[in-house]
Amino acid sequence: MAEIGSFALLLALALSVYSFLAGIIALAFQKRTSSQLVGVTAGTSGIAASGEESSLITTLRQASERIGETARRAGIATFAAVLLASVVLVICAFRDDFSIAYILHHSNRDLPGPYKFAVLWSGQEGSLLFWSLLLAAYGFVLRLRYKTDPRLFAYASVVLSGVQIFFLLLLNFAAHPFAIVQGTIPADGNGLNPLLQYPEMVIHPPMLYLGYVGFTIPFAFALGALIMKYPGEKWINITRRWTMVTWAFLTCGVFLGAHWAYSVLGWGGYWGWDPVENASLMPWLTGTAFLHSVMMQEKRGMLKMWNMWLVFATFWLAILGTFLTRSGIISSVHAFAQSSIGDWFAWFLAITLIVFVFFFFKNKSHLRSEHKLESLVSRESSFLFNNLLFVLLCFTVLWGTWFPKISELVQGNKVTVGAPFYNRVAIPVALLLLILTAVGPLLAWRKTSLESLKRNFMWPTVGAVAVAVFLLITPQNWGSPFGLKPWQDISYFYSLMAIALSVLVTLTVASEFYRGGRVISKHTGQGMFASMVQLTHRNTRRYGGYIVHFGVVVVIIGFAGAAFNQDKEMEMGYGDKMTIGPYTLICRSYTDDDAPNYASEWAVLDVYKGGKQIDTMTPVRRFYKASRQTSTMPDIRSTLNEDLYLVFEGLNQDNGHPILKAHLNALVMWIWMGVWIMLIGTVLALIPNAPAPVRVPAPARLETARTAPVVTGD
Amino acid sequence: MTWLPLCLMLAVACLYYVFYLPGRLFLGPEKTRAGYLRERKDAVYENLRDLNFEYKAGKVPDVDYTSLKSSLQDEAATILAEIDRLEKNPAPASRRARI
Repeated sequence: MAEIGSFALLLALALSVYSFLAGIIALAFQKRTSSQLVGVTAGTSGIAASGEESSLITTLRQASERIGETARRAGIATFAAVLLASVVLVICAFRDDFSIAYILHHSNRDLPGPYKFAVLWSGQEGSLLFWSLLLAAYGFVLRLRYKTDPRLFAYASVVLSGVQIFFLLLLNFAAHPFAIVQGTIPADGNGLNPLLQYPEMVIHPPMLYLGYVGFTIPFAFALGALIMKYPGEKWINITRRWTMVTWAFLTCGVFLGAHWAYSVLGWGGYWGWDPVENASLMPWLTGTAFLHSVMMQEKRGMLKMWNMWLVFATFWLAILGTFLTRSGIISSVHAFAQSSIGDWFAWFLAITLIVFVFFFFKNKSHLRSEHKLESLVSRESSFLFNNLLFVLLCFTVLWGTWFPKISELVQGNKVTVGAPFYNRVAIPVALLLLILTAVGPLLAWRKTSLESLKRNFMWPTVGAVAVAVFLLITPQNWGSPFGLKPWQDISYFYSLMAIALSVLVTLTVASEFYRGGRVISKHTGQGMFASMVQLTHRNTRRYGGYIVHFGVVVVIIGFAGAAFNQDKEMEMGYGDKMTIGPYTLICRSYTDDDAPNYASEWAVLDVYKGGKQIDTMTPVRRFYKASRQTSTMPDIRSTLNEDLYLVFEGLNQDNGHPILKAHLNALVMWIWMGVWIMLIGTVLALIPNAPAPVRVPAPARLETARTAPVVTGD
Repeated sequence: MTWLPLCLMLAVACLYYVFYLPGRLFLGPEKTRAGYLRERKDAVYENLRDLNFEYKAGKVPDVDYTSLKSSLQDEAATILAEIDRLEKNPAPASRRARI
């Protein structure tokens, strides 16, 4: 089997190289013959225009088009070859083929089936193969859809092949997933990292990778459009859906990672500003900025250069993220695979940067803006500030992530920055972003008058202030988030601001739906809800986007709950009591168990609230036999108000009593609910608009039109 | 060595798929400046539709609406004028390919 996998990888590399080279040759020939044809037809080439010459050029052009088609097909065939290699690796994992070093190091006989499937992305070589597979799959879809715009897709296909070659070179020459074990083959494997033996780990990496890899597509289109000086913004239109799908996957991946960290790592939190977490956040931030600023390019022909850089930065940061997790250059609890392939990534990052910068400066005149910012109080400026804030946050995260390495290079000792560093910037920036989320949709394109501001902001602002005052004056014993006294602690101030601004965003979103629904209701006579549904269907992108904003608000409320978190640690024998917040925990028993894959110790605790037993919880600690590593499985009782989070920390060696840690985490469930809402909004935004009758009359001012040509497009 | 015939078959299948190109290729229309201008026109019309809708929804006051509508109409008129000019004096077919 390993030989088939190895051959498939070699074949994939050959096909990718062909797709790349033949694609370049075809595009170069097409460009050349196209200009020669112009010269011949216009008689300006300096050579006598003849029918023979014209026919030769036409033949050459047709030949180049056929070469281009073979390049496209080679790209499609690459997918088949990489898919075969991946299937072979998974089959080897299920067959416990420990003659393959990768399977030996990442699987064992007793590993449950789903985790054997997850072996594909659990280690260095496998995850690179998975990267390559997803890239080939995206490329497969892209190349099948080439009829949308064959020339642009041909350029994008070449860029994709270039990226694919890099990953296939790595797989064939630096991190071979089918490397054979030398000497005696062990009877059993070393097993999968226990931290990865969790149901979410079967879906978290694919989601994250679909996000990471997916950003190659907008990058490929952007670079293709830049190289060919693509006229107009249609490429943005074509890539928008790709970007949204990719963004949704990355969002899902980032939050699944947060949920995994919360449910498995046992420290009671969901985000620790770990370098690998940061690596997934950075492309998400620039990708989110791009999704907003792209509207300015589509609607107003502005920010073309900026968008180009955002697309590139998003792709580059996604590769940088993979580099961080692979190279071991920065230590992280998530860096499951470390090796010397960091150099390969560093070179690849450098080459992509050089290529992009070269074409950017070569063709930047093509990216000049069609309009200027007319007013600071306009939709455009709100997008601009939104972008600046996202980029500022991204830069902060980048700086914090690399600071240990930079300090080591400069001072000789590693200085690690922790959560306070990030929070100092991230919280105020997030609050400012919330303000823009509320304000942006209510501002008009070009400029907004004072009257318009008053008209649109009065009631949402009154509502937000009212909620803030209510939270301020309510007693603290009502529980979180009531009785927020901002002068007691800065975290309370941030929480109060976050909740008030969330209300502001919610009210502006609601007013957008209400106002739009009212117009449709007036015209159609439908009820308000049906009108709102129709409104959303007529402009899915805008109203889907508002639902995403509402999801963000719900997530932010969840984050704001962190100000109320509590925790307590205690050794608990039979019948011992622990009180945390409104809960009382009584240790009923503690025991151990043995399963084929792991041995476990666990405690049984009865949970009381208001004197009544409401639940029984069982935090577990496992010892994985194959890898000889321990892992905790916290038990979490989630409600809308708070999560009761119990961790089995270990046993007191003297008396055998379990040591338990309890966390009371406020409003955490809101985070996961918010993510679902964000995903629903994204799916809605991806649905094509329902056709709406065009009622705008054609402008009747042709006679007064300026004679100057429309900017750009040439 | 049972893998060898399988690998050979795979390679042959790939080569056949890549290099066997029966029939005519789909090349799609060449993009022209007029085509680009039509896209811009659509974008401006969409902006006008949005503005009208926001006005009807009560988000935009009368003064703002008149001024914004006027500037969008000017933009549309400029684009339409150039489309009109290009359609009256079309470039040679081969020249259009250069955009």
